[in-house]
Amino acid sequence: MVAEAPLYLDACATTPLAQVAHEAMEAARQLAWANPSSLHGFGLSAAESLERSRHSLASSLGTGAEAIRFCSGATESVHLALLGAAATLPVGRLLISAVEHPAVNAAAAQLQRQGWQVEPIPVGPTGLLDLGVLESLLHPPTRLVSVIAAQSEVGSIQPLTTIAQLCRQAGVLLHTDAVQLAPHRPIAMDELGLDLVSLSAHKLGGPRGVGALLVRPGLRLEPLLGGGGQERGQRAGTEPVVLAAGFAAALAAARRHQLDGTSQRLEASRDHLLHDLLALPGVRLSGPDPTRQPRLPHHISLLLSDGQGRPLDGRKLVRALWNEGVAVSSGSACSGGSGRAEPSPVLLAMGWDRSQAASGLRLSLGSWLEASQLERVPLALERAMASCGAAAP
Amino acid sequence: MLAYLDHHATTPCDPAVVAAMAPWWGEQFANPASRLYRPALEAAAAIEAAAAELHQGLAAPSGAQVVFTSGATEANNLALKGLAEAALSSGNPRRRLVSVVSEHHAVLDVLRYLERHGFALTLLPIDAQGLLNPADLQAALDPGAGGPVLAVSVMAANNEIGTIAPLAQLAPLVHAAGALLHVDGAQAVGHIPLAMEAWGIDLLSLSGHKLYGPKGIGALLVAPGVQVAPQLQGGGQQGGLRPGTLPVPLIVGLAAALKQALADREGRALRLAALRDQLWTGLQALGGLTLNGPPPGPQRLPHNLSVTAGGVDGTRLHQLLRRQIAVSSGSACSQGSASHVLAALGRTRAEAAATVRFGLGRSTTAQQVEQALRAMADALDQASNRSAASRPER
Repeated sequence: MVAEAPLYLDACATTPLAQVAHEAMEAARQLAWANPSSLHGFGLSAAESLERSRHSLASSLGTGAEAIRFCSGATESVHLALLGAAATLPVGRLLISAVEHPAVNAAAAQLQRQGWQVEPIPVGPTGLLDLGVLESLLHPPTRLVSVIAAQSEVGSIQPLTTIAQLCRQAGVLLHTDAVQLAPHRPIAMDELGLDLVSLSAHKLGGPRGVGALLVRPGLRLEPLLGGGGQERGQRAGTEPVVLAAGFAAALAAARRHQLDGTSQRLEASRDHLLHDLLALPGVRLSGPDPTRQPRLPHHISLLLSDGQGRPLDGRKLVRALWNEGVAVSSGSACSGGSGRAEPSPVLLAMGWDRSQAASGLRLSLGSWLEASQLERVPLALERAMASCGAAAP
Repeated sequence: MLAYLDHHATTPCDPAVVAAMAPWWGEQFANPASRLYRPALEAAAAIEAAAAELHQGLAAPSGAQVVFTSGATEANNLALKGLAEAALSSGNPRRRLVSVVSEHHAVLDVLRYLERHGFALTLLPIDAQGLLNPADLQAALDPGAGGPVLAVSVMAANNEIGTIAPLAQLAPLVHAAGALLHVDGAQAVGHIPLAMEAWGIDLLSLSGHKLYGPKGIGALLVAPGVQVAPQLQGGGQQGGLRPGTLPVPLIVGLAAALKQALADREGRALRLAALRDQLWTGLQALGGLTLNGPPPGPQRLPHNLSVTAGGVDGTRLHQLLRRQIAVSSGSACSQGSASHVLAALGRTRAEAAATVRFGLGRSTTAQQVEQALRAMADALDQASNRSAASRPER
């Protein structure tokens, strides 16, 4: 048994609710509990709180309040973005990166069933999009592009400015899944000229059950949900006012952390931990080398092998590390469930072979951690690897 | 203090529900999909317990699936689009949908969407009390009326005029025609008795914030064997039927709210029906008010009352009322357009605007009812044409 409290190093799966978000939700629960569509005083208080959250989010994201559509989370947001935009366009071609979240792949597959051509843009060994291929396909029938701004499994940050510029020049709509990027980097939606941006609150210290789609003003979208006409007719359903308050407070705090040194301290902790982990035998980095390429500042992804260089089973390592008191992930939490080691589609797309692509481990840090808490992680990993290596068939 | 009498629009989240959610907003935050370590498994267990609570509380048939959604709007969309899509892809030839003119927009909008995509839609009329005639349903279910019916959607209780549908009588007709019954239970669950299996409900939608739970959560219950195509896809959560990271605190809150609402339902219904009757008696004494929907009694939600002040300027009436009580003219979701429910009862636009819907709730007191009666007397006095001429503005 582990004496110390378990260490939570899985921020990319979900984050604990930030204290400021908790407080904002408590305040909203007291004063803004009513239905924001109601016309009486209780309803007006709820509407005022909702609009304040909307303005706060918009200013954190470099756009206007009219761009924000609250929804239940990123899964819904990416569906609304891709299916909603495609429904207003003639059937054509959708370009997506080869390393998208399963929700984007699923929405793309749905468009494919509707007659759309879906073309994955290959990525290089660090998970970065091949811009040459992208550019070569930015002509009719391409009408829509979806790119994950920062990759959840391997931490690569795409050159969004360039991608947005290419899409704009070609007159093609761009959606970006910014779920993992938004907690760590500013997203200047208007300045970059992004058309559609998906966000989730619970990946940035906000509550689960709420997210947003940012929609460039004037862009038409077919709603996914019919109903009461909320959110400019693009997303029906009573808005979750309390959740929206937590979302806005959490994003504002994340922005402050980028300015007050918190993010830099987190990145330094990550660099230190990464350095120590890479010194262990059988451990190598996947995704970009943060000293040379843009990478999420809290993110470590590794490929692990035993003494003979044989890839270990990432899922077994996650269990073994939990027994050492450290919570990590073998990849995207959402692709789990089968219980067996499946190669990660993201790692396969980056050129790793099947057994290597099943040997991945992700450690993602958060501002709730003290640097000193991370000191025991290398030893824990070493012990976990030893136990998995011994048990390998 | 303004009395809140608009519990059909939303209910405040009960302190006990807030308390039940608290640990899940705090230290127990793990993602239940990260199945490889213990906190995530605990979260997954909490979701299973919540699903069991809903299953039991709504007397669902064994093997029914509980699908958590962002609310009743999403549940209604998932139920109807999901049924239609599953029928299309499985070769099921049924292409007709039947519902009622007085359904919520979250049902009507979806049905109209499906109508644009190849389904034939029959909307049944309602009588003066908001009830649909079973003979009309029977006729609409006849394949001779345009082909076999895939599904019938009927709300358990109307959000504006409180009419309770005789679901247990309707279900046999629906099933005899080989169709499925979807029920929007947003206004009924936790307020009136509802038994999914015994009443023959195949799909049941509900919302957390209408039963003293949190906003942002609801559920669709699906009877075993009913094929529903997912409307969102991705991480494979909830058997692939509704992916997305599960909002554990909200799910725990929904289950706690349902449990509490079912526990105090009978007593609350009796108490609120008495208060509502007190309100109606007092309003009748004011004169000039017409009741919308069934008379207070078994066919009406115990906490609902809807009255129209004929010949009164509705805008003025509601402006005056707003200073003293929180009520509405109809659905909060109607975005200012005239109520289609009142129109179906034969009310004009002006009458619909001069309609006051009362929704009593757990916190409603006899004093608040008195307050509402005084507010109504005052507002009617000032807003009605005869007094407007003779009385100076206050």
